[in-house]
Amino acid sequence: MAAGRARTRKQVSFAAPAHDRPRIVCMNLLATVVLLPLLAGTSACALIGRGNTPARRLLTALAAGGVTLAALALLLRMAPAVFAGEVPAAGFEWLPQLGLNIGWRLDGLALMFGLLITGIGALIVLYAHHYLGSEDPAGKFYALLMLFMAAMLGVVLSDNLLMLVVFWELTSVSSFLLVGYWGHRADARAGARMALAVTGGGGLVMLAGFVLLGQIAGSYELTEILQHRERIVADPLYPLVLALVLTGCFTKSAQLPFHFWLPEAMAAPTPVSAYLHSATMVKAGIFLMLRLYPVLGGTALFEQVVTGFGLATVTFAAWVAIFRHDLKGLLAYSTVSHLGFITVLIGLDAPMAKVAAVFHILNHATFKAALFMSAGIVDHACHSRDLRRLGGLYGWMPWTATFALTAAAAMGGLPPLNGFLSKEMYFAEALAGADRLSWIVPAVALLAAVSSMAYSLRFAHDTFFNGPTRDLPADAHPHDPPAGMLAPVALLALLCVAVGLFPESTYGPLVRLAADAALGGPPPEFHLALWHGVNGPLAMSAVAVLAGFALYAGLMKGRALHGYLPRAWSGKLAFGCAIDRLFAFAGRVTAATENGSLQRSLLIMVAFAVLLAAAPFWQADALPAAGDRTLMPATPLALALWALLLITATVIAATHHQRFRALVLVGIVGLITALTFVGLSAPDLALTQLSVEVVSTVLMLMGLALLPQHTPRESSALRRGRDALLALVAGGGVAGLTWLMLTRNHDSISWFFLERSLTEGGGNNVVNVILVDFRGYDTFGEITVLGIAGLGALALLDGFRTRRPAADADGRAWAFEQQPLLLRVAARVVLPLALLASAYIYWRGHNMPGGGFIAGLMTSVALVMQYMALGQARAESLLHGAAGRRFTRWIGTGLGIAGLTGIGAFWFGRPFLTSAHGHPALPVIGELPLASAAAFDLGVYITVVGATLLTLSVLGAASKEDHA
Amino acid sequence: MNFPLPDFFPASAEIFVLVMACVVLLADLFKSERQGWLPYLLTLATLAGALAIQVGTAGADTTLTFSGMFVDDRLSDVLKSCLYITVFAVVVYSRDYLMARGLERGEYYLLVLFATLGMQVMISANHFLTLYLGLELLSLAIYALVALDRESARSTEAAMKYFVLGALASGLLLYGMSMIYGATGTLEISAIARKLSDPATNMDVLRFGLVFLVAGLAFKIGVVPFHMWIPDVYHGAPTAITLLIGSAPKLAGFSMAIRLLVDGLPTLAVEWQQMLMMLAVLSIALGNVVAIAQTNVKRMLAYSTISHMGFMLLGLVSGVIELRASGDIQLSYAFGSAMFYTIAYVLMSAAAFGVLLLLTRAGVEAETLDDLKGLNRRSPWFAAVLMMVMFSMAGIPFFIGFFAKLAVLQAVVAAGYLYTAVFAVMLSLIGAFFYLRVVKLMYFDEPLDTAPLVASSEMRALLSVNALAIAVIGLMPQSLLTLCATALGQAMK
Repeated sequence: MAAGRARTRKQVSFAAPAHDRPRIVCMNLLATVVLLPLLAGTSACALIGRGNTPARRLLTALAAGGVTLAALALLLRMAPAVFAGEVPAAGFEWLPQLGLNIGWRLDGLALMFGLLITGIGALIVLYAHHYLGSEDPAGKFYALLMLFMAAMLGVVLSDNLLMLVVFWELTSVSSFLLVGYWGHRADARAGARMALAVTGGGGLVMLAGFVLLGQIAGSYELTEILQHRERIVADPLYPLVLALVLTGCFTKSAQLPFHFWLPEAMAAPTPVSAYLHSATMVKAGIFLMLRLYPVLGGTALFEQVVTGFGLATVTFAAWVAIFRHDLKGLLAYSTVSHLGFITVLIGLDAPMAKVAAVFHILNHATFKAALFMSAGIVDHACHSRDLRRLGGLYGWMPWTATFALTAAAAMGGLPPLNGFLSKEMYFAEALAGADRLSWIVPAVALLAAVSSMAYSLRFAHDTFFNGPTRDLPADAHPHDPPAGMLAPVALLALLCVAVGLFPESTYGPLVRLAADAALGGPPPEFHLALWHGVNGPLAMSAVAVLAGFALYAGLMKGRALHGYLPRAWSGKLAFGCAIDRLFAFAGRVTAATENGSLQRSLLIMVAFAVLLAAAPFWQADALPAAGDRTLMPATPLALALWALLLITATVIAATHHQRFRALVLVGIVGLITALTFVGLSAPDLALTQLSVEVVSTVLMLMGLALLPQHTPRESSALRRGRDALLALVAGGGVAGLTWLMLTRNHDSISWFFLERSLTEGGGNNVVNVILVDFRGYDTFGEITVLGIAGLGALALLDGFRTRRPAADADGRAWAFEQQPLLLRVAARVVLPLALLASAYIYWRGHNMPGGGFIAGLMTSVALVMQYMALGQARAESLLHGAAGRRFTRWIGTGLGIAGLTGIGAFWFGRPFLTSAHGHPALPVIGELPLASAAAFDLGVYITVVGATLLTLSVLGAASKEDHA
Repeated sequence: MNFPLPDFFPASAEIFVLVMACVVLLADLFKSERQGWLPYLLTLATLAGALAIQVGTAGADTTLTFSGMFVDDRLSDVLKSCLYITVFAVVVYSRDYLMARGLERGEYYLLVLFATLGMQVMISANHFLTLYLGLELLSLAIYALVALDRESARSTEAAMKYFVLGALASGLLLYGMSMIYGATGTLEISAIARKLSDPATNMDVLRFGLVFLVAGLAFKIGVVPFHMWIPDVYHGAPTAITLLIGSAPKLAGFSMAIRLLVDGLPTLAVEWQQMLMMLAVLSIALGNVVAIAQTNVKRMLAYSTISHMGFMLLGLVSGVIELRASGDIQLSYAFGSAMFYTIAYVLMSAAAFGVLLLLTRAGVEAETLDDLKGLNRRSPWFAAVLMMVMFSMAGIPFFIGFFAKLAVLQAVVAAGYLYTAVFAVMLSLIGAFFYLRVVKLMYFDEPLDTAPLVASSEMRALLSVNALAIAVIGLMPQSLLTLCATALGQAMK
């Protein structure tokens, strides 16, 4: 079977062939890149940053910075190998059953992202050291930042799709904690939760897609999967895989309609926004689309879907960004728009588009991080990010303004900055895409660029110019920040210029390398340069810049824009609405399925059981037929009895509210059962049934005397009808199935007992031999239980006294003292006879119908009669019962005898309860069938009598009138 | 008549627990005032001893004893060992809670031990009767435990409902068993499987029997639509009892499903797979959706159980793959994933209710979501513990719950139920929502109750170990997965 299990793993094999893998083993280096921040970074920051003193804060920042730089250095050390065309990879098995291996892989794309993550990460560490207030716990911040960095590095370096998901979700979790860093703020909490719900959920959807992908490709290793493009694209599941994986990417990269979490996440501390929401985490979706482009991309479906969503996002977000009054809100929407921009490029089915996408990833990270950091500086100094209140800050913070303006110009796409370059390439690709898709592509691209220019202008103009500041908070004192806070911004702004002027010598090689990996082959020849001559893209750029200026000027006329109140059209509301709907739906389902009613639960259970049982009927070709067993003839007497049984049962169901009446009728059912046993030649069972019936009815009557005689009817007629119908269906079904079963021939086991009863058990009465010998253990257990039940009644009711009712339901007075004379006399006469009869029954039990159990019940019945005839007090004085306690000794004696008989077998080296038997002949009586089982039976007898009387006695005492 | 003495050795752990239960009973009766800790320590010693015996007597072979009614194999060794550890944790977590409410009496320990014995018997059952015996021993002990707080109307009502519904379910189960007996003429599980390949066996009757078997099983593990008792009982029972009900019996329930369906009725797999699939999908849907509407944490966890058990069933559904061409049956590793899921769930559930118990003290119950607010301020460590549990239940990576979900999903996909897999993922997304809400409440909201947590040091320590297990097994799930797979592989040989 083990082999079978292995085979069913379809053809999934997890050990990828080693031959076609260009790999150099530098496992330690590659793993260290992730593990360093994951283990060393987090723990060091958490430990050092425990106390919040200035020295410790500095040390924490240094530790975080050191770890980041070390990771960066490791990547740079491996970079030459990657540039030489190698793919450093390493891995070992982690969970081979699930196809989950630890595998690292550093190709061009991973290297580019790795450098981005660690490079910007180092700047962020520096910036955050100055940004965080002295009361903010620095250790927690840096530890989380390191955790996030490790997760991000894990995403880009993973060679295994499942492990990629693992790190992917870890970025969601760590970003949740980072966004909610200021947990005392309501917006931070809401933003954090929304970000986690959207991106974490998207990750799970993506996981489903990956599992499918792994099944199709036969492996979860990227190295493997990347070689199976044909099989994957041709698979009928390809559209589903694509939909699931893209959902994951779109949620992470904030594409329409999942974009709304990003603006909400702006409640995070600004370093977090600059790092997560511009440079790294939001790029993870982009990264994944590029990563899987060689296998999933290049189809018409991919192009239409990805380009379509990208275009919608880029225009929508750019337009919305103009109207945001919050500085970071504007940047957030701008980020969404730029992510859409990259998505469009990934979607477009042209190799150059991928080059442009990779290039813009770098450019966007560069200028957007600078912009977020300067927004943080402004916020820090002015204690406000509201564009309606800021203004004229150029005079107060000239350095900050200079760098921010440079970056904003890059964002708007002005030459000679890096943003301009990638925008030109974008336009070129959009124009090319018009042939394949539609003229809408370049048109929409142009529209987006116009809005982009407009919001960039607004960012620059409303913050740094546009008149003096307007009612800033009282504690605001705008100034340039310390050099440590300004340096990262300056560096990035300078990079914007440098890349714009010298693209080939700055980002060029990296872009080539990453595009190679994203395309799965060498990219086309290209040359990154500022000037490509007068062509279509340049014309579009010119139009975009001019129209952008015009748009902003028009909107800003008389500060009209400041009066604009954002309408409630954001996805945030949709998300909130969806959540509310979900809650309402959950509430409705709850109300429909659970109302705490036991009857309802029973109804559902029985109904479903009926439905399930009916299912085979409409699956089977023919209804199962009754078996061919020869049936016994039904005598008229038996038919009459069964008719009576049916009627009685119906009446019981109808009148169960009147408890006494129902109980009496139950007695009839028992009686008919006993008669049926007689008819089927089972006198033992009949005797037992009869005695049990009598004793239990008397005991139940005594119990019922303490309770109300009627219960009210609570349910409506409709409901009773429904329940009756269900009961009939369920009962009829059970009866029908039983009929099917009983009419079949099957082997009986009775021959076994018939054959061995006398030879091995020493008795002719098979039933009794089974009870005391074959199943002696069971009987011993049963009488023990009987004894416990009696003791239980004693424990529960001992000392319990209830006021007995003065009259019954019809107003007739209860008679307590007078016992009918006839009964008294009869009881006296019957008692010795009954005792004698029970002794006889006991004695002959081993060979003829009878036995200790029945005898015990008969004695009990006789004594119960004494109770009824003489009253409890007299009956008990007769038996020296002392309110029932004495009967506990009877139980003990009976159990003792039975137990000792069983133990007796040990003397002869046999197991417990092994019986011995002999047939000694005595002079007068004749042959005496003696079996050790007879002693055991005696124990049974005494226990039964004791337990019955004990229960009777405590029940009787409970309703005794309290004379005291 | 002379009977051969059965081999008691494979059942030594059961016998030990039974004897010790009687010892606890007597010790409780005769202990002095100052020896209040005696039943507690004896119970813990019993569970530790049972674990030692189980591990000590574990062998590589499958042993049948008591005329083939009782089986001792790797599967039972693994599951029972998990069982002892779980119940041990349950008893430690519960003591403070019970003492504060005057419920820490001998009955509790006795009933817990009998429930344990019942589960042991269920896990080792190779016969319908043994299985039923164990099940009833477990159920009866639990009915009584739910009503342990006799003064509480809610508890007694829950116990009453549970008892009535449970009796009905037992009836269904027994009825199913009797029909299968009627069709095959035997109650021994491995013999039934052999009989099934006999063409003379009446398949129609078997199918009907199967229906009732599945219905009874579904009730016991609590999947829709036989789940009604779960929310009421989880909510109504004292939290310490909910902890017991929500953890260890899932192991026995899993074993019951394996023994009844996989061991006993493999050739009917197509039929029971359809039924289980329906139950699983309904459970995952209803469990996740309704959990959102709950403001009571115990009720929320109740619905979460329902959806988790649905997931576990998905693993079972994917296990038997019929090769239509040859008519052969193949068993896949999916059962291992279901077993892993069960064990993972038990770990998580124990920790979740453990934290709830930790938050209570004399006169203060921690049941509603509001009680969890600001837990981070009161105890950062136990807030982190509950966060780990919630993340794990939501299926977020690096915790055991993620790998459990992943393993099951892979099995489901491998078996070809693609849309089911996607559906399950979508609904666990909704499920992630309410788990995360708990995290949000703990970390971002102001505590309503600022009193420090009161708990014994052994409880704190064990709860921490429990939480670390969720994280550490999450990092290294390899060995547990292998253990599950080999145990099942040996059991099905």
